[in-house]
Parts: sequence; structure tokens; C-alpha cells
Amino acid sequence: MHILAAGGVTLHVQELGHGPPVVMVHGLIGSIASWYFTAGPALARGGRRVRMFDLRGHGRSQRALTGYDLRTLAADLAAVVADLGEPFDLVGYSWGALVALRFALAHPARVRRLAIVEAPLPPSNAHELAAWLAPDALSTAVHTLPHALRDAVTVRGRQAERMTAALTFLIRDSSLVADLCSEPDLEDRELAGLTCPTVLLYGERSACAPAGRRLARTVPGARLVLLRGGHFVHLDARTEMTRAIAEHLDG
Amino acid sequence: MTSHATILHTVERLLVEIAGEELLVAGPITMATSFNADLQLESIEFVALAEQLQVCYGASVDFVGWISGKELDDLIALTVGELVEFIASRLPAGSPACIS
Repeated sequence: MHILAAGGVTLHVQELGHGPPVVMVHGLIGSIASWYFTAGPALARGGRRVRMFDLRGHGRSQRALTGYDLRTLAADLAAVVADLGEPFDLVGYSWGALVALRFALAHPARVRRLAIVEAPLPPSNAHELAAWLAPDALSTAVHTLPHALRDAVTVRGRQAERMTAALTFLIRDSSLVADLCSEPDLEDRELAGLTCPTVLLYGERSACAPAGRRLARTVPGARLVLLRGGHFVHLDARTEMTRAIAEHLDG
Repeated sequence: MTSHATILHTVERLLVEIAGEELLVAGPITMATSFNADLQLESIEFVALAEQLQVCYGASVDFVGWISGKELDDLIALTVGELVEFIASRLPAGSPACIS
């Protein structure tokens, strides 16, 4: 189904399972599939209503030209959860984890438990950004993709054409890169005000791991868990990550 | 009982609805057709297929649960035939063919 967010942007939303709600936010260049084929089904089988959506400009959501900053994306998330009456659990990966953090800071009463996976800090330190700022951004952008996807882009064919079109829109036509560059850091005193129980999941080889250690120091009671793998920990350690998220949400 | 041929026909129709007639340019979809190498289906289109299979066959055919238990390499090598076999194995006897 599709829902309408602020500014008239339509967002693609999918749900699996029944039970207490958990909302999952994917990362840049990802899509709903990042969760739909990883932790989503397992959480649904465990008795949860798992709601996933495509960020604006991604997957089957509208290709919005602007609004890739965390506040706008957190407002999109607010539209996605508008009908959920009860507090819900929130899970985010990479840029999606920063969206989840922003949302939890702005709406502390709405988030029950929070799982942050591979959030980069400062936000402009995002894994993908350096490659996207290069003069030949479209060809170097390929190196920011997980290996399995990289093959799809470098081997000519339908997948390559479609992936290239998606990358071209986001990197060249939309405000994504400019929004990333100008995103202010989250301040320690803001993070110190986060009230919901939080787990921090990072790949032990990820360049983002220092952000995990910083969050562990600043977010009250936050627990840092290092999983095997790098930034694409949802692919490198799918089972372990899913288990860690489920354990945290179960309390 | 719904035959493999009927299920294959349904899967082909759903795939064309999701990804367009261009999928059939190289020929009709068969049991040996692979989703990745042959059809070059995107992961987001796989999500749409999951949604449509749910609409078609209901909760007894848990495509998402089946897919999520597979390793990445097996997913990449997945064929239409494996999906058809899976659907056939889960459909209750006497289920009508999906015509929605």
C-alpha cells in the first residue's frame, strides 16, 4: 500500500505478521527489501506486526527531488506511523538509523524500544558520501554497494540499467548528497536525553564502529553489540543481527 | 489439485504485471528460469511478487518465510520451478487456481 507524507510525497509501505508493532527503516540506496528479506520475516514469526517502508526516492516510493535531511525523513516516518495508537518498537539501518534516532528524540513517548544498526556519526560521515562526492560519482558509487549488488550493476543487463537509473536520480538529480553534506551532527546533550531502551548494533570491521562507541557513551543505558562483518552487517551477519534485535525488543 | 502448469502460468502473469512485458523478450518463463540471472528481477520487485502471491494464495503459502530461511547464494540461484514446487506443496488440496 501507499501512504501520503507531508509535501504530497507518496511512500510505499508493507507489513508482515500480527502483534505489537515494530517499524523498520532501511538505509540510503537500499529499499524495503533490506528488511523484507532479512530480519523482517523472523520478527513477524516471533509474533510482531512488522511495518516496513521505502524512504522517499527509494524503492517504490515517490522520487522526491528534495527532503533527504533527517528532519524531513523523520517527518515521513511520522506519517508512516500516524495510525499506530500504541507506542511501537523502532529499528533503523545506517541513514535509516539516524532517521529513527531523530524520530525518537522528537517523539519520546511514541517509541517503546529502539535498535540502531550502523548509524554513522557525524551524519556527514556516511559510508557512501565520499564516493558520491567524487567527480565520476556514478562509477565510484558502485563501490559503496554490497558485493552481491555490485555484480548486478557491473554486469550489463536489466538489473544494471535499473540500478544505475536509481543511483543517477538519487546522486545527480535529487538533493540527497547536498542534504547529507549539510546535516548537522547530533549533539551529545541531545543524545543524553534519549529515554527509550536502546541497543547499538555495529559490524566489528565497520568504519562506523566509532559512532557506536560514542552512542554507547552518550545514550543512557545503551548497550553496544559488535557483530561479525562490516557496514553491511544485515547481510554479513543476518542471523546474529536478527537475534540481537529480537532479544532487545523482547526486553 | 492445482497443477504445476497452472501455478507456473499464474507466477508468469504476476511477474509480467510487476516487471512488464519486457521480461518475456527472451522467451516464455519456464520451470528452469532463474529470477536473478535470467529475469534480472530487482529485490524490490521480489517484494512486490511476495505481496501478490499473498493476495493470490493466502497465508498458507508463506513465501516470505520460505525465502527468509534461505542463504544469499541460494536466493541468487532461485528458479521459478523451485517457487512453483513450493507453492504446490503448500496449497491445500482442492484449492482453486488463483484468478484474481
